[in-house]
Amino acid sequence: MTLTEPAIAESEAASGAGGAAGPGSSDEAAAAPSILAQPFVTSDASEVGRLFVLTSLLLAVGTSVVGVLLSLGRTEAAAPWELFGGFNAYFRMWTLYRMSFMLLVVMPLLLGVALAVVPSQVGAGNVAFPRAALASFWSWLIGAVVIVVSVLAGGGWGAIDGVTGNESDAMALTLLGTGMVIAALLLGAVTVATTVISLRQTGMSLLDVPPFSWSMLVAAAAWLFTLPVAVANLVVIYADLRGRPAIAFGRAESPDIWLQLDWLVEQPAVYIMAVPVLGIAVEAVGAAVGARSSRPEAITVIVGLFGLLAVGGWSQDYFTAPQDLRDGLVYVAFGLAAVVPLAALAGGAAELVLRGARTRDRLLDTRMLGAGAAMKLLGAAALAGALRVIEPLDLLETTATWAVFHGVVAAGLLAGVVALRNWSDVLLIGPLPAAAGRGAVALLAGGGGLLVLSDLISAFLADAPDLMALALDGSAVLNVAAFVGSVLVAAGAAAAALGAVSALRTPLVAGGGAT
Amino acid sequence: MRTTALPAAEATRPRTVVVGALLATGAVFTAFAALVAVYVQQRQLARATGQEWFPEGSVELGPAGMMMMTLVLSMVTVQWAVQAARDEDRPHGFIALGVTLMFGAAVINQFWFVYTDTAFAIDGGRAELLFYAVTGSFIAMLIGGMAMLAVTTIRSLMGPFGRDLAHGVQAAGAYWHMCVLCYFLVWYVVFVTK
Repeated sequence: MTLTEPAIAESEAASGAGGAAGPGSSDEAAAAPSILAQPFVTSDASEVGRLFVLTSLLLAVGTSVVGVLLSLGRTEAAAPWELFGGFNAYFRMWTLYRMSFMLLVVMPLLLGVALAVVPSQVGAGNVAFPRAALASFWSWLIGAVVIVVSVLAGGGWGAIDGVTGNESDAMALTLLGTGMVIAALLLGAVTVATTVISLRQTGMSLLDVPPFSWSMLVAAAAWLFTLPVAVANLVVIYADLRGRPAIAFGRAESPDIWLQLDWLVEQPAVYIMAVPVLGIAVEAVGAAVGARSSRPEAITVIVGLFGLLAVGGWSQDYFTAPQDLRDGLVYVAFGLAAVVPLAALAGGAAELVLRGARTRDRLLDTRMLGAGAAMKLLGAAALAGALRVIEPLDLLETTATWAVFHGVVAAGLLAGVVALRNWSDVLLIGPLPAAAGRGAVALLAGGGGLLVLSDLISAFLADAPDLMALALDGSAVLNVAAFVGSVLVAAGAAAAALGAVSALRTPLVAGGGAT
Repeated sequence: MRTTALPAAEATRPRTVVVGALLATGAVFTAFAALVAVYVQQRQLARATGQEWFPEGSVELGPAGMMMMTLVLSMVTVQWAVQAARDEDRPHGFIALGVTLMFGAAVINQFWFVYTDTAFAIDGGRAELLFYAVTGSFIAMLIGGMAMLAVTTIRSLMGPFGRDLAHGVQAAGAYWHMCVLCYFLVWYVVFVTK
C-alpha cells in the first residue's frame, strides 16, 4: 500500500491527537488528553471548525447587541451618542460593530464550517495542516479578545476629536488585535485552500470539487489578495501612531485611522465574506430537493466570477482623492457587475428546484428557506451596491454603504445556520434543533431585510453625505425600522447560538470528530 | 503477445507543504506590494505639489546596492540548499543553509548602517514614516525567512533528509526568493529613484 497524502495527513492528525496508537487501541484512551486540554491540542479539523463556529456565533450575539444599542441611539435623532456617554465612545462602538461582524463573526463562522466540511467533501482525512488550523483558531480568539478589551479601554480605530496619549496606546493594542485576527484568518484560509488543491481525491479535478469546497477555494484566494492589503494599512497606521503627533498624510479630518481601513467593510471588499455563501446555498438547495445541477461547471464559473469581483484591496481611497477612485470606471464596473453572478446563481438554484422533488416538506425545509433568504439578501446587497455606484444618485457616502454591509452580514449568518443544519453531523455532532433553525432563519431574514431596506431608503432621503446616519431626524420611521431589524438579527444570532450549543449532545471532545 | 498488468502509478499531487507555503508567500507579497504602492503614491503626490521627498544626499545608493548583491547571491545559495535537500546531501545542505543565513544577517547589519547613516526621525514627515514602514516590514519578512531556514537547518541536523524536509526547504526557498523580489522593489523604489 502506498502512503498517499491524505493518509499522511490522517497519520499526522492521529499522532498529533495524542499518541501513535491506532484507532480502537486500548492505549489510545489512556493517552487521550483531558476534556479541558483537548481544544488546545486537537489536530482534528472538524473539532477546530466546531470551535470556530461556536465562538463566532457567541460573538455574533455580542456584536448584534452592540448593533441594537447603536440603532437605539439612532432613534434619538438629536444626539445618538448620548446613550454611549460621548461622541468618541459612540464612534468606537460604531466601528467595532462593523469590524467585528466582518472579522470576528461572519468570516470565522464560514471558515469554521469549511475546516470541518471541506476535507470530507474532497476525500481527505483531515485538512492539510491540522496544527496550523488549531493555531489559526487560538490566534484568532486571542486577537478578538485583544480587540474587544482595547476598544472598551478607549482604543479602537481612531477618534472623532483626535487621538490623545492614553487612547494612542489602546489604539495600538486594537491594531495589534486586528493584525492577529487577519493573520489567523489567512492561516485558516491557506489551510483550507491547500486541502482543496493538494489533498483532494485522486481523479477529482478542480471542476469536480463540490460547490462549497470550490467557493471556499475562491474565497481563500480573495481573502489572500485582499486582507494583506489591510495588514499593510495597519503597518502604516501603527508607525504613524507611534510617531505622534500623527502625520495623518496631510488630511486634517479625523478619524484618520478608520478612514484608512473603512474600505474593508465597504464594497467590493465586503463581498469577500459572501463568497462561501454561494457554495452553501447551492449545496443546501440541492440537498433539500434531492437534485444536482445539470451544469456544475456554470456554478463553478459563477462563484469564481463573484470571488474575482470581491477582491478589493485596490479600492481604498484614503491616499487619493476619494472622488478620483470612486467615480472611476473600474469602481463603478465592479459595483454593477456584482449583480450578474448573483442573478446567474439564482437561476442555477431555480433549476435545482425544478429538477428536484418539490414536495411541501422539502420546499419548507430549513435549508431551503435559509438558502433562499441568504441569496435574496445577498442579491439585495449587490443591488444596493449597484445603485450606490451610480454617480447621479449620489449615494456613495450615505447609509447605502451599510445597506450593502448589512445584506452581506445577514446572508453570511443565514448561510452559517444553513450549514449547521446541512452538515450538523460534522459540525455539531447532533442535529440542529428544527425550531432553533427555523427561528434563526426567520429572524435573521426579517432583521437583515429590515436593515437593508431602512439603510437604503435613508440613503435616498439624506440631503448630504451622512455615513453615520447622524442627521436623519426626518426619517424616524426608518430609524425605528432599523432598530427592530437590529433586534431581530440579535434574536436570530441568539437562536442560532443556542441551537448550536444544544446540538452538542456529546461532549465536544468525545469521539474525535465525525469527519 | 503477453501483457503484464502493472500497478497503477501513484497519483501526482502538488506537494502540500510547498502549496501552502506558496499561498502564504503570495499573501505576504500582496501586503508588501500594498505598502510599496502607498509609498510610491505618496511620493508622487509630494512631487506633484512641489515638495521635497528626501533631503538631497540623505539616502545613499551604495549600501543599498551592496544589499541587493548580497541577496542575489543568497538566491543562489538557497537554491543550492534546495537541491541538496532533494539529493539528500546533508553536508552541502547544511553549508548552503548556513551561508544563506549569514547573507541574511549581513543584510540586516547593512540596514542598521543605513538607519544610522540617514538618521531619519519616524515622525519627521510622510517620507520618513513610510521609509521606516517599508524597510522595517522588509526586515521583519527577512527575519521570518531566516527563521524558516533555521528550522529546516535544525531539522536536517536532527534526522535524515526525507520528502517532508525537502519540501520544507523548498517552501522556505520559495519564501526567500519572494523576499529578494521584495527587496528589489525597495532597492528600486526607495534607493534608486529616491
